[in-house]
Amino acid sequence: MRLIQIADALEAEVHHAPKGWEQISIESVFASDLMSDVLMSDRDEMLVITSLSTEQSIRSAGIVGSEAVIIANNKTVTDGMIALAKELDIALFCTIFPKYESCIRLGRIMGL
Amino acid sequence: MSDEEQKEPLQSSLRVQELIYGLKIGEVMTKKVFAVSRNCTMRDVQQIMKSNGITGVPVVDNRRVVGFVSMNDVMTALEEGGMDEGVIARMSGEVQTLAEEMPLSFAISAFNKFSFRSFPVVSKKNELVGILTFRNINLALIRELSRQLREMEHLHEYPEEHASLELVKVYQLNRYDFENGGKASIEIKKFLKERGISLALVRRVAVASYELEINLVAHSIGGMLSFDINKDRVKISSHDRGPGIDDVEQALTEGFSTANEWIRSQGFGAGMGLPNVKRVSDEFAIQSAVGMGTMIRTVIHFKEEKQNED
Repeated sequence: MRLIQIADALEAEVHHAPKGWEQISIESVFASDLMSDVLMSDRDEMLVITSLSTEQSIRSAGIVGSEAVIIANNKTVTDGMIALAKELDIALFCTIFPKYESCIRLGRIMGL
Repeated sequence: MSDEEQKEPLQSSLRVQELIYGLKIGEVMTKKVFAVSRNCTMRDVQQIMKSNGITGVPVVDNRRVVGFVSMNDVMTALEEGGMDEGVIARMSGEVQTLAEEMPLSFAISAFNKFSFRSFPVVSKKNELVGILTFRNINLALIRELSRQLREMEHLHEYPEEHASLELVKVYQLNRYDFENGGKASIEIKKFLKERGISLALVRRVAVASYELEINLVAHSIGGMLSFDINKDRVKISSHDRGPGIDDVEQALTEGFSTANEWIRSQGFGAGMGLPNVKRVSDEFAIQSAVGMGTMIRTVIHFKEEKQNED
């Protein structure tokens, strides 16, 4: 699926998005608040959904080469997080939906 | 000097510290050791000290260190008229030894922690192989520093062709400084990516480095992370000043963690850090001693993909 479909499905607020972000392809979704787990993943074209609204979430996602981070549950996104997303040029969205519901919505558009 | 510069320690001073971590005790110690057996007297020890100009003599039994007689012990024996007594009666029985494989930084911690002037050094088999004094450390550092200076002068005279994939860099990390934990990894990741290293390899380097950074920030009282990169591989070493790991095998077990609530609230401390570093590395070595610190070295090769160990 394309990142734009994800943003639509989650009614996401876009805090930062790389050029041409709409067409970025996402093949797998990793939903976790545990960055230790995120760091164990070796998937490609990945999206991280987390309720852990910290700079380390953005960093961890960047370290494993994730394309985008979605902060669930309408948590506050800090300026530091946005600056980091810009530096890493990784998409940073925020959604009002909790993690579970976000996953269901994405599952639907992935035809799961 | 700008704020930024003041905060960042000089690379040169970090390189000196890195030396202390890079040298092993076995490379620095005096290998010619004067030791006595259990049945020697204090007078024998005093003779050995006098004729060889040394201030402490280990007592050994079948090459194992069982005690240590210091200059102080000899003076006390002199005072109390106990010079003809056996060393067994007057030696310190609880001896702090150092292992020859340990980095020099551990020895420096030991010198700071205990008031001893020298430490017996033992092999893996726990046999006496040398003795370490502060003089050994000073001499080794002077020797290494002059070698580095010579190399730098040589490089200055014959500048090498600019090798794009060469980098030596050391980062300093402070306890609980989660804000900066990860900056080194991001920088190194960028460096490798810009030089066309495959994404899978870049990710492995970044993951190893990031986990080590988080470990330093979350679990140590502060330390350093250094990178040595050339066209074939990335070497990452992490050194800290303590507290040291009690049971290294346990620390390498998935799920084992000593993290507190606060570390967990940051999304870490699931006990996957060290196992994850090991998972992505081609070579992995760890050494730790309580009260002295922990040293981890990992290597990731560019050419061959990681062999499946199972």
